[in-house]
Amino acid sequence: MCRNTTVWKMLLLLTSASLARTGFAQQPATHNNVVIKNAIVMTATHGNLKNGSVYIKDGKIAAVGASVDAPSSATVIDAGGKYLTPGIIDSHSHLALDDDVNEATSPVTPQMMMQDAFDYQDKAIYRALAGGVTTSLLLHGSANMIGGQAVVIKHKYGAGRDAMLFPNAPRSIKFASGENPKRVYGSRHELPSTRMGNFAVQRDALVQAQDYIRSWDEYNAKVKRGDKDATAPKHDLKLEALADVLRGKLLVQIHCYRADEFETEIAMAREFGYHIRAFHHALEAYKVPEKLAAENIGIATFADWWGYKQEAWDAIPWNAVMAMRKGVRVAIKSDSDDFARRLNQEAAKTMRYGGATEEEALKMITLNAAWIIGVDDKVGSIDVGKDADLVLWDGYPLSSAAVPGKVFIDGDVYFDRSLPGYGMPHYTEGQ
Amino acid sequence: MRDRHQSSVVSRQFANRALMISVVLSWGVLASAQHQAVVLKGGKLLTVSHGVIDNGALVMEAGKISALGPEASVKIPKNAKVIDAAGMTIYPGLIDSETALGLTEISAEESTNDRIELTDEIMPHMHVYDAFHAESELIPVTRLNGITNAIVAPDSTDTLPGQDSFVQLAGPSAAEMLLVRDIAMPLNFTGEQRRNESWEKRKFPQTRMGMASQLRQAFLDAQDYQQKLAEYEQKKADAARDKKPEPSAPRRDLKLEALLPYLQGKKPVVLAAQGPSDLETAVRLAQEFKLKFVLNHISHSRAVLDYVASLKVPVIVGPIYETPKEYERFDAVYSLPAELYKRGVKIAFASFDAHNSRNLPYQAGFATGFGLPPEEALKATTLNAAEIWGVADQLGSLDVGKSANVVVATGDPLDVKTDVIRVFIAGEEIPMTSRQTRLRDEYSTK
Repeated sequence: MCRNTTVWKMLLLLTSASLARTGFAQQPATHNNVVIKNAIVMTATHGNLKNGSVYIKDGKIAAVGASVDAPSSATVIDAGGKYLTPGIIDSHSHLALDDDVNEATSPVTPQMMMQDAFDYQDKAIYRALAGGVTTSLLLHGSANMIGGQAVVIKHKYGAGRDAMLFPNAPRSIKFASGENPKRVYGSRHELPSTRMGNFAVQRDALVQAQDYIRSWDEYNAKVKRGDKDATAPKHDLKLEALADVLRGKLLVQIHCYRADEFETEIAMAREFGYHIRAFHHALEAYKVPEKLAAENIGIATFADWWGYKQEAWDAIPWNAVMAMRKGVRVAIKSDSDDFARRLNQEAAKTMRYGGATEEEALKMITLNAAWIIGVDDKVGSIDVGKDADLVLWDGYPLSSAAVPGKVFIDGDVYFDRSLPGYGMPHYTEGQ
Repeated sequence: MRDRHQSSVVSRQFANRALMISVVLSWGVLASAQHQAVVLKGGKLLTVSHGVIDNGALVMEAGKISALGPEASVKIPKNAKVIDAAGMTIYPGLIDSETALGLTEISAEESTNDRIELTDEIMPHMHVYDAFHAESELIPVTRLNGITNAIVAPDSTDTLPGQDSFVQLAGPSAAEMLLVRDIAMPLNFTGEQRRNESWEKRKFPQTRMGMASQLRQAFLDAQDYQQKLAEYEQKKADAARDKKPEPSAPRRDLKLEALLPYLQGKKPVVLAAQGPSDLETAVRLAQEFKLKFVLNHISHSRAVLDYVASLKVPVIVGPIYETPKEYERFDAVYSLPAELYKRGVKIAFASFDAHNSRNLPYQAGFATGFGLPPEEALKATTLNAAEIWGVADQLGSLDVGKSANVVVATGDPLDVKTDVIRVFIAGEEIPMTSRQTRLRDEYSTK
């Protein structure tokens, strides 16, 4: 491999992976040593433990059970019989971006990095935290067929920017389809203004990325052969990002409503050899659930939001459960700073509309959402070895009236409802 | 081509007519069934007005509640249709105190929206009943969740956008569903009524000063108009007495005419504000013209809740999902209903929405997580609303003589997991179908 290319690739990676690395390095090591006992532990993977305990050591879940082995030095929190769940995970959010959600000057902008707009002081992070959210995927908007690259955050409000970036989270990219891109560009009399235009723009961009990969492959082959006259192709940030899509290095998250468009997107992914991680919104998933399940494509959907535009007219509140029953991995997401504060209520709606079980409903805002983001090995359930991101609830979490009492991230309490002011032990205004 | 197009239009018209006939027929069937008494036997009755009756029975006859009480004490009429409601919770139909139901179908599609006339800020002569679309697909979706009545209001981006109607969410047509036309008039003073989208589009009023002066002028004009009408009536009486020719009537002014019932305190003005300064400005204006008013929203007025209580007027709260201000605690809006209740203020909930009106009970349920007693939360979606809108003689509680707007559900009316099983509106059982259930059923069988 040519040295130049290696350096360039490292530089490119700097904008994503290394920031996560610096975040990890600068984050004060979490040395907690806590036992939460006497809780109804809703694990999200292996049922509920009545009168259960969780031992938290150095930011991780070290033990879960009816009783846990913990040193006598551990701080004990008596949950008083309250419910303990994994931290809520929002697989579709635009909070803390200070309205820098859409770079709507071109329908193809994969080189946009959402972390460059991430406003870590935005109070929306705190308000979602107070609703039990511990991890969010901050996505580019849906104005562009191919938007930017997402950033994954932990809601450690007040801990500073780097501490809030989710360490070593996979890279995700936002694609869109349907009404939004065609409206944004169509209203300016630009391409795309139809669904044909939408997909033509997407296909054209992917063809360019194929050419880009080919030209670098050819160059590298020449260098390998010892061709001293070989000239390196131009480094192109946009095409490099798309090339990474084709190389399978990015999780592709597609804003898509209609059943026919799922199929077009799936065909396009096959044509170019990448995989779709999840369809977002996906309000018509109930019409073609087998097709999504067969491709192992998840959905991040609303519980019952509908009718706000034409492509949301066939939305039904049974969508999530109908898709789930056919084998689709389903997450309920917010797509709004408002819904982000009560995703537990939204998930509970799936128990009513279609009869999801308690654990199935809980998974839609924890483990399944974590899978969509690609961090299900680290968060999303109460299992040994996972990050100690937990919510201790006042009330039954899957109900209208439940409110988080305490929210833990990496074993530290970041929100405590009983505290005065904002209810945050590590944050006071003006710090 | 053209012929084919025309014929398709014609056949569509036929299809529409066929659909209309089937709708009318199904209502006809329901109407005839109305004569048979219907009894809900067993179940927990949440009367709202006089506590909870376990193992109760409720009788509906001729559209009204004719009897209710403990099962053993209620006499079941002969030939009554008896429905086993054991294990169910039975409560009065919910009332959503502000919606856009019947004024919108698809939010982003202009042609399906009749929500506000933005050509002027002073539009009291806009009547939502002129636009109310009784066949809206949103109405069955809403009533399937136990919401049986609603205020329909124009959108809030004019200071005086028009007059509200109080509707029943079932009926043969718009005429019957519009229970009270022009029931109240919104007066919005939140800042979003300013015409300040851009510096280039300099249009009055760009400021709250402009809004207030414009409102003041409108009410002054209405006072003058009222005076002129009174003088004319006097002259007419004098002329009749003196057998002189009748004086010419003053020119009718629809805008000013629309303001008169409010100026005379005959109907309430719904005063919408968010923060304390807007709230107090709006109240000063209302007091200056001696308007009868209820308050709306006041989401960011925590600092002046004692002042709010001192006004001794009801408050339509919310939506409690309104985002707090940067300087507010996360629960500043969530806990507002409880804080108002503690101060003795009569509150009612509203969805301020159309598609999501069905989620009204969950707002009330959420407020219980922040200190509002559950029975008060239910009251704030039923009896309080009926009292505020002056329809408590007919609606808002399970009482003999009231309209039989009754909901049968699997549990707590305010919890998200509760399934609504049956809905009666004016004693008629509503088919538990909507466009959404039809899509569900169509794709469930595939």
